[in-house]
Amino acid sequence: MNSLPVPVASMLRRLRRRLVIGVFLDIWPRWALGSLLSAGVVAISCRLLIPDAASILNWLWLAPVLASIPAVALTASRAYRPDQIAALADSINGGEGTLLAVLEVQDPAWVNSRAITDFSQFSLPRLRVWRKLGALAPAVAFLAIALMMPQRIPAASNGVLANDIAADLQAALNELKKQDVITPNEDKEFQEEIERIRKDATEKLDSSSWEASDAMREKFAAKVAEKQDAMKWAADSLSNFAASGDSDASLTKEQAGELGTAIDKLSQAGLLANAPDDLKKLLGGKDAIAGGKTQLPKDAASLRKLAASLSKYLSGRSGELAAISKLGKEAGRFDPTEFPLFSNEPGPDGDGEPGSGGINRGRGDADLTWGRESAMIDKFKSVPLPPGSFRSPDDWSPLAVLPGAPKESPELSITSSGVQYAGVTGQAAVRRTLAPRHYSAVKKYFENSK
Amino acid sequence: MTEQNKSLLTPEAVGAAQTRISRLVAGLRQVLLGKEETIDEVVAALLAHGHVLLEGLPGLGKTELVKALSRLLSLDFRRIQFTPDLLPTDITGSHILQERDGRKDFVFHPGPVFTNLLLADEINRASPKTQAALLEAMQERRVTTFGETRALPNPFFVLATQNPIELEGTYPLPEAQLDRFTFKVEISGVERSVLEEILVTRIHGVPPALEPVINAIELQELFTLVDAVFLPRAVANYIARLVAATHPKSPEAPEHVRTFVKYGSSPRGAIAIGAAARGLALLRGKPNVGFDEVRRIAAPALAHRLVLDYSAKLEGYDERRIVAALLDDVSEVERGLPQTLEAR
Repeated sequence: MNSLPVPVASMLRRLRRRLVIGVFLDIWPRWALGSLLSAGVVAISCRLLIPDAASILNWLWLAPVLASIPAVALTASRAYRPDQIAALADSINGGEGTLLAVLEVQDPAWVNSRAITDFSQFSLPRLRVWRKLGALAPAVAFLAIALMMPQRIPAASNGVLANDIAADLQAALNELKKQDVITPNEDKEFQEEIERIRKDATEKLDSSSWEASDAMREKFAAKVAEKQDAMKWAADSLSNFAASGDSDASLTKEQAGELGTAIDKLSQAGLLANAPDDLKKLLGGKDAIAGGKTQLPKDAASLRKLAASLSKYLSGRSGELAAISKLGKEAGRFDPTEFPLFSNEPGPDGDGEPGSGGINRGRGDADLTWGRESAMIDKFKSVPLPPGSFRSPDDWSPLAVLPGAPKESPELSITSSGVQYAGVTGQAAVRRTLAPRHYSAVKKYFENSK
Repeated sequence: MTEQNKSLLTPEAVGAAQTRISRLVAGLRQVLLGKEETIDEVVAALLAHGHVLLEGLPGLGKTELVKALSRLLSLDFRRIQFTPDLLPTDITGSHILQERDGRKDFVFHPGPVFTNLLLADEINRASPKTQAALLEAMQERRVTTFGETRALPNPFFVLATQNPIELEGTYPLPEAQLDRFTFKVEISGVERSVLEEILVTRIHGVPPALEPVINAIELQELFTLVDAVFLPRAVANYIARLVAATHPKSPEAPEHVRTFVKYGSSPRGAIAIGAAARGLALLRGKPNVGFDEVRRIAAPALAHRLVLDYSAKLEGYDERRIVAALLDDVSEVERGLPQTLEAR
């Protein structure tokens, strides 16, 4: 091209640049399209599966830019050669071929001819960018929509919640242990139960897990209530024993027996494990207390001493147990008083009494009413049935005696077709039922019978 | 094998050649009014040493064109009126027994083919045997009779005419003979203005008397210059792709060719295009062949070399329409513009 006039060489260089752009735009949109679609798929995958990647998803917009790298490499490898550029220029400018000839032969004689100088003004091919880039619009929209999708946050794992449930229960159990309310055997049993609840909740966390947790708390509360009962019984027995101190001996002996039983119950509930040493000594020692077989002192002085010591001990423990009994209402335990609908207070739709109107289901403890019911006294009145008896085959009597012999109803009588036809057509019908090869046998039979 | 020169004709040489050719063309245009394209095609074929088959209805000036050409070129001119009873020896010449110096001997009497410009009028009226007598003369420019081969005068051109509408008593030219014609030029009817001009300028339709404008030496120089016209490789590639695309089994063949063409062009077609394009380029005052010359002469050079399928006739396609479709489908440059670019 060096031999060509400057304006012509300049135009050819412009054509070369435009061809490079054209080749790039032929290649890049396909790569960009693929990269945008891939980025969209990646964005959707991250939105659904990888929450941690949410912060870097906007970088996916750079995918088309990255796709330009291989496109540039391909453009370079597919670049037009100088002779191809000259052929295109010649074809676009009328196809006279003089430019091709001059470039091929390098003959300067025709360089300044009209056929060559015309190339300084020829129309370069027009770039139709949107024809190719238009195809990218759906892919861009796809990526935009993928990025606009809300990030899916996976639900917390069951293990965390299961551990929370178990930790709450363990805290309640530790509180009970701290107060020496439960025995080692109960402690072991409760530990196993808490572990089972935790495992079940880890495998499948649903309402049953919370119900199991509540049931466990109820067990705790029941255990505390049981111990409270034992303490109350012991306190009552102690007061009875103290009151009978001035009564006759037989009565005192009976009260002492009841007190002994109540103390045994206390020891079985583990409430005497931390009793003062003097109290333990009065009750027969540690072994007796641990085995639930306490022994009351025989003499009255020791009994009074035991009563005083036990009374002192129980008054201290009862306050602790009262505080512990609140555990059953903590940590999600359902409390009806929190909900007015189930309370005894009249709600907005009535006073809660059955039949008083309002849109409610009535009080939870209301009696079920089924309309006009029998009085309770008549409800289950027993009605004796007549004695049963088996019918004997001989136990019969005629219902009626008809005059004369019974008549056969001709339309109901079952007769063979052979007999029916016999009256009309002789023996033809009978013979018709016999196979021909049996004729002789039948004939012989009847002849012999004669 | 001769390779083309790696240099271009000088502008002066091209200018001088164009002047001479223009005189020839101007003379022909005096005879054949309103047929500029036909005249250009015939001149281009002659400059390429090619034979031309003129096809057209009677009275359109086919014979006058050839006669005018012979007068303008001051070449020896013979005319053979082809008839069904014409024999090959009536064309090539024959040996006649003659007595010379007391002994009898066969003496060769050359036929009308021994000329520079042979007008084979109504060539399709002769039998195939007689038509075949022209095969050797047209291709190898020589005649063999009784085992003796005689060269024909240089230059030797055959300009044949045929009437396309008469089928009774005619013998269509076989493909082998058609292939030897560089061009098949179709002469169409004249326009009203041309008819008016003929009526005004000519008495009894007699064309004006012509004087030779190119002598034998000048014609030989023109032939030399035509051969020196440069054919760029890109244009040669276009010719090759164009001819290859005429074959229905070629991967480059467009849909029309695959559907309607039974046999494509022979390599003679490509050679004819290259040679005639050189002549046309010189006629246009160019030192080289361009895509434009190739497109201009593709139809007369290729159409008669295609053998169409019967379906082409059913669909109303003829050879010229197929070539036109071919020119539309085959791009001039092997590697076209990128899809993103569009020529204005």
